[in-house]
Parts: sequence; C-alpha cells; structure tokens
Amino acid sequence: MDVQLTSLAPTGGWLPASATAGALPAETDVLVVGGGLAGAAIAYYLAREGVEVVLVERGELNREASGTNAGSFHFQIALHQLTAMETGNIRGKLLTEVRLHVEAAEVWAELERELDGPLDIHTTGGLMVAETEEELQLLQDKRELEREAGLEVEVLTGRELRDFAPYLADRVLGATYCPEEGHANPALATPLFALRAAQAGATIRTHVEVTGIAADQDAGARRFAVPTSSGTITAHRLVNAGGAWASEIARHVGLDLPIRGDGLHINVTEPREHVLKPMVQHIGRRLTLKQASNGTFILGGGWPARPEARPHRYSTIWQSMAGNAAVAVDVVPFLADVRVVRTWSGVMAFTPDLAPMVGESARVPGYHSLMATTGFTLSPLMARQLAESMTGARTSFPPDYDVDRFANATTTT
Amino acid sequence: MRRTMRGASADLAIVGGGPAGLAAAIEAAGSGLSVALIDERATLGGQIFKQPGPGFRVTDPRAVGRDFVRGRALIEGAERSGADVLLRTAVVAIRGTSLVLVEDGREASALEARHVILAPGAHDRPVVFSGWTLPGVVTAGGAQTLVKTQHVLPGEQIVFAGSGPVALAFPAQLRNLGANVRVVLEAGPPPGPKDVLRLVRAAHGNEALLRDAAAYRLSLLRRRVHIRHRRIVVRAEGDGRIEEVVHAAADRDWCPLPGTEERIAADCLCLGYGFFPSVELLRLAGCDFTYDEDLGGPVAVRDEWLRTTVPGVSAAGDGTGITGSYVAIDEGKLAALGALVALEAITPETASARADAVRRRLATKEAFRRALVPLHPVGRGIYELATPETIVCRCEGRTLGELDAALSTTGDPNLVKSLTRVGMGLCQGRSCQRQIAAMLARRHGVGIGDVPVSTPRPPIRPVPLGAVADASVEDLRFFTPD
Repeated sequence: MDVQLTSLAPTGGWLPASATAGALPAETDVLVVGGGLAGAAIAYYLAREGVEVVLVERGELNREASGTNAGSFHFQIALHQLTAMETGNIRGKLLTEVRLHVEAAEVWAELERELDGPLDIHTTGGLMVAETEEELQLLQDKRELEREAGLEVEVLTGRELRDFAPYLADRVLGATYCPEEGHANPALATPLFALRAAQAGATIRTHVEVTGIAADQDAGARRFAVPTSSGTITAHRLVNAGGAWASEIARHVGLDLPIRGDGLHINVTEPREHVLKPMVQHIGRRLTLKQASNGTFILGGGWPARPEARPHRYSTIWQSMAGNAAVAVDVVPFLADVRVVRTWSGVMAFTPDLAPMVGESARVPGYHSLMATTGFTLSPLMARQLAESMTGARTSFPPDYDVDRFANATTTT
Repeated sequence: MRRTMRGASADLAIVGGGPAGLAAAIEAAGSGLSVALIDERATLGGQIFKQPGPGFRVTDPRAVGRDFVRGRALIEGAERSGADVLLRTAVVAIRGTSLVLVEDGREASALEARHVILAPGAHDRPVVFSGWTLPGVVTAGGAQTLVKTQHVLPGEQIVFAGSGPVALAFPAQLRNLGANVRVVLEAGPPPGPKDVLRLVRAAHGNEALLRDAAAYRLSLLRRRVHIRHRRIVVRAEGDGRIEEVVHAAADRDWCPLPGTEERIAADCLCLGYGFFPSVELLRLAGCDFTYDEDLGGPVAVRDEWLRTTVPGVSAAGDGTGITGSYVAIDEGKLAALGALVALEAITPETASARADAVRRRLATKEAFRRALVPLHPVGRGIYELATPETIVCRCEGRTLGELDAALSTTGDPNLVKSLTRVGMGLCQGRSCQRQIAAMLARRHGVGIGDVPVSTPRPPIRPVPLGAVADASVEDLRFFTPD
C-alpha cells in the first residue's frame, strides 16, 4: 500500500485522513478492534510478518487511554501493584511483572529505530521516593525483588540523595532510582505505529463501530462474522484491543470479562527552566511527576476523573487537582509557585487483579485479548508478544495473564 | 457570605464585576440574601468602566467622560448593596453552583452558592496575520487598559484597524487623550442611505447610543482622523517591533483585493475587530450553546430569566453574546430578579413587575442591534490572513505551515491539539481556538459553529500548585482492586 508519511518532527507522523476512510474489506485473516496503542502496535507487528490484518476504530485513532496518559515508562514496582497483591502469591506475581518491565524497557529502547520516526523518548531515569521509615523499608524490599528479576535499581539516602536530587524536600527520607525509566510522547506513538502498519500492508479504518460478533466455530477459516457501522467483515481471528471498552467487545462472543474503565486525572503546568531530569514517583502516596522536554511539569499518579457517558470526555475534578498538587509540593517544594495551566483526563482499563489479560481464549478459539494494564509502558511489548504467538513464534503467556482466569467467578455462555 | 475553614457559602454568587455583575448585585440588595460579587481585577467596573490603577486619583469625574460617571454610579451602588465584594479573586472552576476561588497570593477555597450568575464579559478577537506577534501590535482592549488604568498611550504613531462600533469609539477616545491616530481602517462599508434609514427606525429608545456614535464621529472629523472604509490589515512589518502596517482594500467578505496594498509607518497597530464572549466558565459549567458570529460566536442558551440550561446557573452581559454595556446592565438586573425568584426571596409576580421596564429596554436595544448587524457582518477574510510562516498558536509557537497536515487530517480540534499542541499553552486556546475552528470549517466544508469545541477543563486561569494544593485530600481510593 502506498501511504506517504504526512509529516515528521516536531509533530511526528500520522496517516492522512484519506488512508483511513476507505471501504471496509469483506474479509480478513485478523480483525483488530480498537485503534489505541495496543491495536495499532499489533496491526504493525502482524503486518510486518505478512499477516493479513484489518484494524477498526469507532472514533479517531489514539483518542482514549493511549493518547491521554502521561507517557511514563513505569518499570519499578508501583504502589498500586503492591496494594493489589497483598494477598496470594505476591512474590511470584511481582517477579513476573518486573521481568515483563525489563522486556518492555528493551522494546521501547529500540522503538524509534524500529518505527523509523520520532517518539520523543527520553530515558531520564526514575526516582521512587519514601517519606517514612516504613516506606523506606518497602523500597529496600522492592529493590531486592527488582534486582532478582533483572531490573537495575539502587537505593539512595542521605547525602547521596541530596547530591543526586537537590530539589527533593527534606521530608523525603530515601528513594530508589531506576536509570531505565523515562517517558515518550503518547501523541506520537499510536499514530506512528498505525502509519507503519498501513505501510506494511495493514488496512486501518476509523469511524467504524463493531455492533456485534457472530462466532461460528464450524465455519472454518472465517469463523467470525462481524457486523459494523460500515458493513460486515468476516475474520479468521479476532484481537480485542478495546481497552476500557474491551468487555463490550468480549460480550459479543459470549465472554464476560471483568474489565472496567476509570478516569485518570493529569495536571500540566506552565513551562519552566529544566531542573527535574528523572521522573519522580512515590511508594506510599499518589504521585508521578516529570518535566517534559518543553519544560512543562506533568503531574498525575492515580487521581480520579469523573466518568461521563460517551462521547463526552471524563471531566476533571478539583479534588484530584488539589490532592495531587499537595503530594507534589510536599515532595518537590519549588513547585509551589509553578502554575497549573490545564488539566486533562484519560480513561484507564483495569482488571480485578490489575494484571494484563493477553492471549487466546480457550473458551472461544480464535478470540485474542490484548489488554496491558499499565498500558502505555506495556502495550508495544504485549502487542509484539501476541503477534509472535499468532504467527507461531511463541507458545504461551504467564498464567497470571490468562484470558480465562476469571471464568470461574463469572458466567460464560 | 458565611466563611468556614477553607470555604464559604452564599445564597447568590455573582461572577464578574462589570456592568452586568454590578447591576445584578444592586438588584439583589435588600432581598435578605447573602450575595458574593467576585472579580479577578483589583477594582470593580469590568473593562468598560475600568478604574484608574493604584496611585491615581480622579478629581473631576465628568472630565474623564460620561462612561466613567456611569461606571462610578454603578460601582458605588454595588458597594452599598451589602454584597461581599471579593476582588483580585479568580473563579477557576465550577461544578453545579459550587465554585473554586483563588485570591491573588492565597490558597484556593470553595464557595458553595445556591444560585450563580455568570457575567464574565468578553475579550478582544485575536486576528492572525503576518507580524501580529510583533511588539507594538495591541488589541483595542489592551490599549484601553493602558489608557484607563495608567494614562499611558500605546504608541506615538497609531494605526487603528477594525470594524464596527469599536472602530469608531476607541480611535475617538484615544484621539481625545492626545494620541496621534494616523488612520482608522474600517473593514466594513460606510453607512449608506438604507443603513441610515434602518438605524433611524430603530432609534427610539436608543438615543444615547446614537448620540455617542455621533459624538465619536464628530470628534474624529474635527481632529482630522481619516476613516478609510473597506480597508483591512494585511501584515505588520518591522525589525524586532512594528514599523510599518500594510493594508489593502477588502471585498464584502473582508478578503484583501490583489494590487491594492498600501503601507503606512506606525509604531503601534491597534486592532479592534470586535469581541469574543469569555465563555470558559459557561462551558465548564456545562451550559448549552448556539452560535452567532454577529454576537461574537458561542451564545449560551437562556430562558426568559436568563437561566442557562444548567440548574442554578444564570448568565448575563457580553459573556452571552456581544451586546454592549447598556444591555449588560439590564441583563444583570433580569438575571438577579430570576435568581431572587429561584431562591424564593421574592414572588414571581414581584419579579415580573420589576422586570417590566427592563424587558422593554432590552427589546429596544435588540432592535437597534439588529439594525446595525447588516452594516458590520464579520467577514470570513478575517480568518484567512495568515501565511504558512505565520504563527497561529503563539503559546506553543506553531505556524500555519506546521498545522497544515493536521488540519487536513481531521475536523476535530481536540485531535489537532493532540497532534500539534496548539492551544495547550498559557492562554488555553483563548487566542487561537476560533482561528483553528475557522480553518477547520473552511477545509472540511462546515460552518464554524459546527466545529466541535475543545473539552473545557479547569483551571480557567493559571493557578500556582501551592495555591491548589490541599493536604486534606489525601487519597481518593482510586486505582485499587475491586
């Protein structure tokens, strides 16, 4: 397919409208539902291997979680993972997770070269701070586990920490530092994946909404008949990359997946002189903080936005601004006089155990789930792994990520 | 107003201390309700009745002008009304009838109101053309602020470019203060016999407006300021600041005609192509809008008591369509009466009786405005002056050329924003949003009013993180497993 790169730096590359507006093909090998980072990435990885693939998105590409997150690479174990895994085999789960993070770091490190375009990747390193002795102990324990999984992390305290990060408040007792953490620009990643996917032969269609799925396991090569707002397409295999709305797609094939969406709040400040190189997170409070390449500070870390019915964006709420700002100013006091100029909200997809859900369902052969929680960090890796599994180059995924793991607790048809 | 630790409550919160807000506060006086009147500036009066800055004292109000006297009377009335006047205080967020206030240098605080009247006023229409970001290019409102608060003229050789009543009033006011206004470039035509007839028919009840207009015109004539009709600014040139203005003859759509360019030396280009309603709070509140370019663009939908589609939220003045200070005052009264009924401070019958004269005056003003519209319709050419090298979004430094591909890709300004960062800076799109909408409308063949708007978000004004921070909001239990 002859698709020209529309534009490069400083605004990245994306598909022209004409390339995503054509007729929907009547059939395909793989149908990807969802035009976020996961969907665009797997369309690219499959097309690169010569697989026939069609991606449909009901709105524009990259308009939900993939384009509205803060672009951070979270490789260290985060607060929510610890709280989520207080019960059960926490150690084993965390080891699996960190190993995945190490692989994700490798994928991101290569991605600008792989996609031959700018993603505004900055490997700035990442700090995770502690304000209490208990939190500091948690950092020490976490570091041991991360090292075992192969992630390079060190603990900084006292003089060493002050020299390394003089902007941190005195109340910060210590921090772990992971040199591989950093960020990319979420506005660039999905559009570039989609562009390269189309150039590799994938068909990408926006404003096409899936309205149902008829799965006929006896129909052979084209077992999924998928009616859409632009006609019906039949597919041999299906990839659900619907993110926060993945359960709606899954329900069409009779799977009741406990995936939910929640709004996430981000604050953005005016630009200032560059002082904060690493991303800053907190092991005990809700904070991620970084200074983007244009000098603005981006603050988030798990503060909610209020859900609104589609097509409205989730509305940002003052309490999230106020709480997020309080943690940020506690940790980095000079931020107190930096002005917030805007806020935004993005949706995030969750599973009950906050672990990814990826691979083929044993209950509905041919149906594949592609849902990486911590989606921006993990989606390129997960998409590549699922593409490898669909082309026979890979056999399995960790049982912790199994699509059918909640089957006993939920009804299936 | 009742204050608590980090918040306060009031029966009625009036946002904006211009003509509409002042009149609303006066109308609510004596109702027994607690009223808060909030303005982000250091003095009441809004833009039209803007008061001199600290250190200035007015010894002879009449010498300053009729508007000044009108304004003083309103301000003093509001100050006597019993309302709590909160100055230097920005309303940065609204949900329902709850407001978040930030007083300069202080922490944010909540104001829980039972009813809210939004009277945010308007701001100058930004016009994007080659050289519009050069120092020395100012908006009419900016120039007016310099003159009214500091008695500083914006330049020594001023070219005024604009259209409508502003292009008559501002140059006359500047000239009366001794400014050297070299020429006035009016994009519209001179009034013809039909226009005069239409205005005369609508004149009854609008004598003050006509008298003002005649006085301004006479003043310009007497002081030999040349008004050139059907001329539009094309670009500003200069090394580091403006030195010359290039202008051209304009067709009916305000598009420059080839081969008609002229140059004139200037150290100040003052732009007065009308105003935009400042709708940020109304949008954030979730009000429904219609679109009317002649009223400045987005117009909040309101009922006969000026209540918006959001329960408990009324709106008055230029923030709901550019109609000027006389209308704003009456709208302020009407909105206050509606609020008093809603708060059960007066009966509907009392309100209707008190609203009677107000409604009649508003109908008269509306007839006059409609008579004026055919004279000054905003031409689409105003949105088409940029060249590929022209900066469209000055906060993020994006030129038209850099936006080109994104504008062709999508008709959704949210996506254009995401792809190019336009509108993400300090001004939050106030300067470039309409320009982007107009360019999208033209490329995708729709009306400007049909282009979606960017998602409204708090804060409405930039706020220091230290002022926003509230340690009592520790964790909203998000991000946790079921």
